[in-house]
Amino acid sequence: MSFLSAVSVVLAGAVVTATVGYALARFFTGDLSPAERLAWSIATGFLVQSILFVIVVSILPGRARLPLVVIDIAIVAASFLARRGLLTPSLRLRGEGKVEGRPFVIALLVIAGAASLLFLVTALSEPMWAPDYLAMWGLKGKTIFETGFIPRRLFQDRALYWGRPDYPLLVPLSLATLASLSGGWNDQALALFFALCELATILGVWGFLARRISPLTGAAAAALVSVCFPLYRAVNAGHAEIPLALALVLVSCAFLDALGGSRSAVTRLLFASLLSAWIKPEGTLFVLLLAGVLWVRQRTRLVDTWKNGGWALVVPPVLHASLMFLLCRPIPQRDFDPTFLEPRRWAELLTRFGIVIARVLGSDVLPAWVPVLAIGLFFLFTRRGFADPLLAVFALQILAYLAAFSISSFDPIWKVEASFQRIVATLFPAFALVLGARVGGEESGQSVGTPVRPPGQRAGSQIG
Amino acid sequence: MSGGARLPDFVRRGLPAALLLVVAASMVATLSPTEIVRRGSLLLRSLAGETISAAETTGFWFDPSYAVFLEEVRRRTRKDATIAIVVPPFPSAYVYQAAYQLTPRRVVEPGRETEATFVAAYRYQYRNVPNTDVIELPHGALFRR
Repeated sequence: MSFLSAVSVVLAGAVVTATVGYALARFFTGDLSPAERLAWSIATGFLVQSILFVIVVSILPGRARLPLVVIDIAIVAASFLARRGLLTPSLRLRGEGKVEGRPFVIALLVIAGAASLLFLVTALSEPMWAPDYLAMWGLKGKTIFETGFIPRRLFQDRALYWGRPDYPLLVPLSLATLASLSGGWNDQALALFFALCELATILGVWGFLARRISPLTGAAAAALVSVCFPLYRAVNAGHAEIPLALALVLVSCAFLDALGGSRSAVTRLLFASLLSAWIKPEGTLFVLLLAGVLWVRQRTRLVDTWKNGGWALVVPPVLHASLMFLLCRPIPQRDFDPTFLEPRRWAELLTRFGIVIARVLGSDVLPAWVPVLAIGLFFLFTRRGFADPLLAVFALQILAYLAAFSISSFDPIWKVEASFQRIVATLFPAFALVLGARVGGEESGQSVGTPVRPPGQRAGSQIG
Repeated sequence: MSGGARLPDFVRRGLPAALLLVVAASMVATLSPTEIVRRGSLLLRSLAGETISAAETTGFWFDPSYAVFLEEVRRRTRKDATIAIVVPPFPSAYVYQAAYQLTPRRVVEPGRETEATFVAAYRYQYRNVPNTDVIELPHGALFRR
């Protein structure tokens, strides 16, 4: 099969996946903007297709393609039969009908489109080769595709200790599903998956901020996310950080909507929480930190936290972690040395933490002092935004990364250099929601689907 | 955090936008135009149906001839084989590429030869010994166990 044919069939598989995603996501995204619906369709599609793929290959090993297509058709048909004539009425969104800044909106969206095209071109230019792709995501995906099922050795083979058998499988399963739908494993064409994740991330940020603040703010944030080249560059095609960035954006949007009182947001929170936890352990940490923020906002009342979306944040990662523990036990200790947490090694741990901080400041923060200073000044000159509760999550997430580097089994400096910039860049698309919300300032915070307030009336109090 | 309230409107609105522009420009500055042109050219050649050699791609940056060796090992072993690979210890990409390219074959590192049905030795100097269990490969040899 030529490369052009391979790209075409992978694209066709992605369209099928997004259609299935739309057929399900339409039940809980009716109150969102079209761009957000598309983002949720893509994400839900990959999530649902992976679950279906696991079920199909468990029953019919090696013959996933036809049953998967049949189930997909059944889902799409059932979805449209179930909701025919019950389409959610079009909601008036903030900024809708206004033409203020329209040329800027178009220009910013053109920039976002051009930047995502750039990532598409660079990602598809050669077979994926990033070390983590070869050792983990690609290896597991290709193994699942080639064997036609999920072999036990992915979890238990001691010879694959460096492949992190305890890591989540959504990215490998998504690649295997796309390969099954397209009829072959082409590690150059499959990079399309990562480009689609980037596109969905941009759409999610744009749609959310356009709905909650204004199209101009949404377009500006989308353009900012699209030029996050420390994340969206060729070397990262194949890394789980790109789909994780999408999951973090979606779970953050659902979280902020849930704080605003949207009922359907809790369903979205459930989906996005599962998505995050099933991509990477960092996703699990993020949703658990979100649950922590919710707990604090509910004045540490556990029952209220649980009822107001806490369950949707906590249940998926806990279930996923339990499943992986059962499959992989005993979990191999390769990357981290928990003995650093024992009292006898606290002094050593403190020294290592200092080394990590110094290295991060020296090799990551100082060289990037211009954007870091710009972000600092941005916070100084903008008002609180409705997305500010996410700031605590970002801060704690980065602190957790520093702590993890400190208990690394390897040289902590090497770990910082190998991955700190990449894993922090993964947070940037979700962080752009905070930046956008602060640009909206006092006007921000309107919850979904509610009538637009008269100009000048404060809405931020709704989110608190 | 609320310092913006006392600023003139044009500063309150313009300054944050300018600061975000600085952030965007800093990220754009990390791009390498030469690399973009190279990758664009590779993509066009791929779309035109050309096969790009391993030497031109990044996956085997550490040793382009290793790609040829792995392809031969893949061609000469069954999918259910377990292969012990003998490769240089650095970089780790030697092991990762072997495991990935040879999938679904199981790849093990030295020390686990007893589990293997083949031993693939990269850069092994084959001396034309008449042994049916040894297969000469480009840049190495494959031993049947």
